[in-house]
Amino acid sequence: MSQNKPEKRKKSKLWQFPWGYRESFVIAFFLLLTGFLIELLLGGGVRMPAWPVNIAIILIFIIYFVLIHRMIKHPIVKWLSSTQAAIAAITTFTVMVLLLGFIPQGATSQEPRLIDSLGLTNVTSSWPYLMSALYLLIVLGFTIVRRFRSFSIKNIAFLLNHIGLWIVVVAASLGSADMWKLSMQLEVNHPVMTAFDSHRNTYNMGFGMMLLDFDIEEYPPEVGLMRNADYTLKLEKGGKLATVEEGTTEILDKYSLSFERYLPYAQKYGDIYDTTSHRGGARAAYIVVTDESSGIIAEGWVADGSYAVPASYLMINDELSLAMTQLRPKKYSSDIRIYHSMEEYEDFHIEVNKPVSIGGWMVYQVGYDEQMGRWSETSVIELVRDPWLPVVYVGIFMILFGSLYLLWMGKGRIKTKKA
Amino acid sequence: MTWLDYPTYLLLTSVFWLLALVLLLTPKKSVFHTLKAVFLFVGWAAIITFTISLWISLERPPFRTLAETRLWYGVFISSIGIVLYYRWNQPLMLAYTLFMALLFLFLNYLNPDTFDKTLMPALQSPWFIPHVVVYIVGYAFLGFSSLIGVYGLYLYYKEKNIERIMLMADNIVYIGFAFLTFGLLFGALWAKEAWGHYWTWDPKETWAFLTWLAYLLYIHFRLKKKQSPKTALWIVSLAFVVLLICWFGINYLPSAQSSVHVYSS
Ligand code: HEM
Repeated sequence: MSQNKPEKRKKSKLWQFPWGYRESFVIAFFLLLTGFLIELLLGGGVRMPAWPVNIAIILIFIIYFVLIHRMIKHPIVKWLSSTQAAIAAITTFTVMVLLLGFIPQGATSQEPRLIDSLGLTNVTSSWPYLMSALYLLIVLGFTIVRRFRSFSIKNIAFLLNHIGLWIVVVAASLGSADMWKLSMQLEVNHPVMTAFDSHRNTYNMGFGMMLLDFDIEEYPPEVGLMRNADYTLKLEKGGKLATVEEGTTEILDKYSLSFERYLPYAQKYGDIYDTTSHRGGARAAYIVVTDESSGIIAEGWVADGSYAVPASYLMINDELSLAMTQLRPKKYSSDIRIYHSMEEYEDFHIEVNKPVSIGGWMVYQVGYDEQMGRWSETSVIELVRDPWLPVVYVGIFMILFGSLYLLWMGKGRIKTKKA
Repeated sequence: MTWLDYPTYLLLTSVFWLLALVLLLTPKKSVFHTLKAVFLFVGWAAIITFTISLWISLERPPFRTLAETRLWYGVFISSIGIVLYYRWNQPLMLAYTLFMALLFLFLNYLNPDTFDKTLMPALQSPWFIPHVVVYIVGYAFLGFSSLIGVYGLYLYYKEKNIERIMLMADNIVYIGFAFLTFGLLFGALWAKEAWGHYWTWDPKETWAFLTWLAYLLYIHFRLKKKQSPKTALWIVSLAFVVLLICWFGINYLPSAQSSVHVYSS
């Protein structure tokens, strides 16, 4: 770098072997600077290469580590696996992640601001981030090949941690281009063949999916005290909700609520609620409110309402009313039929946290029509295909076992005798 | 039992621990030493009793809201302090940890949670408990190592011997770091089940990862024998700031407005 000429004397001292912290951090600084410059000039961030370019890159990487380490006995090669380089690499990477942690990501304003042009609103696909990750992976790689010799338990733990981390980072980032994440919106009894990606591009899946049934399991309904002034629940400072159950009595603040009736599916007829068999029923309870000092002060219906049935509150006094909270799903699930052809189909059941593997896709239950709530006939599912997942898992389990060793052994025994 | 009963137990715990702290420097083999052990235990038992019965009455593990995690922090950090006190005879550490625990428990008194029995569907998973438990244990250890770091800095500037304190910090960082690693990885495995991807750079994930990086830095910095203990002590002390942002500050960061982990009622 020619612009460093005026400081020649200092420089010759700085770059003297063996390299230490100063050199490691200066290199890190220039790597970041280069990254930011490329980002400014090219813009748009980094696109990870897909199969088979990514696997080629990984193999070249590995061969390069091993060959260089074997063949070249230069002090720079030695430096590449030093703790000083490791510290600088971890610090640099930490700085990039800190930026990620502080700056809201994905912010897109009309005119790109400087932070947008520098890639700071999209850190993980920016050039400076790539540079810092490369620095980390190269130092980590050289550290691994240097220690790939003796196989004491300590060394195995070292290798599990470091190789595991290398594998996770490489497979997660280079593998990302091979990952597919599509979503499908299913309606009851309508076969669907198209899925969307996050940019709303459509894909023909080559198979049809049909929602047979969507089901929500609910938490029991609850009522709470609501301020008449602004319709907000009074919940601060230990304020609580009472669970509605027919025939029980609960205390809320200084009021005693007895739940005379509870209808899980109710329609409003004039002033009263009654059970309905139509769709759209809401939850309604007939509640008698008693005050300890003055006896019964109010009674009537409280309902949460739905798209078809109005909600009701029960006024207690000028300030407060009783209101029922909105339905909260305990779990929700879909019964889905997948058509491989007109005659050939398979049925499966998915719910949150319980994905199912179908034809190379992991199928997740992600949502439903929240306006319709318990009456939703829509189920949103996500289809994910990630061929690199097993590789990432190998890395994850290596680190888990490596960490187990750290946990067991610690850094070393604490000498209790010598103070 | 609910949070309504909390003040009683908090009072019990505080009174007994404060009594124990009064007797902090009493010599071994004296009556007071035994009494101190009894006070420590009764205070501890009170808060443990509350925690367990809260768990039972909520019908779900109490790991969800901020107040619940503060409760666990108080339980864990005091337990660690008590164990370390008897293992390595560190009265000052005991004082620190009991003080921290009481601070957190008292915060719960000032900012109680609203009563809530429900868990959103994605949180109803067999991963939930292990994930949160290892995180909290990890935080308790790492937070403690940072307190040792601060104490070490104090000794350093007073030009006292810090070799022992450094070794202690190292060991505790290793333990806490291993737990934090478990927490991150369990979280990744779980996220794959629940949301379809193991890592989404959610703000809470990002900050947990930053915490991990900060202590990773400390571990590697300590590998060279001759390195300045001062810098190492500063690293481990400052790492605590990152940990605190991860835990509490996250709710106030502009980058965290859409986090799936930000607790709300
Ligand atoms: C899972 C994450 C990691 C863990 C748990 C970890 C842990 C450790 C431990 C315990 C040691 C000392 C072990 C021994 O000498 O036997 C060590 C050494 C080392 N680590 Fe890491 N580390 C991790 C990540 C990294 C990263 C990201 C880098 C570099 C960018 C790195 C570079 C080094 C270097 C250079 C040494 C010194 C090795 C030697 O002198 O032989 N480590 N690491």
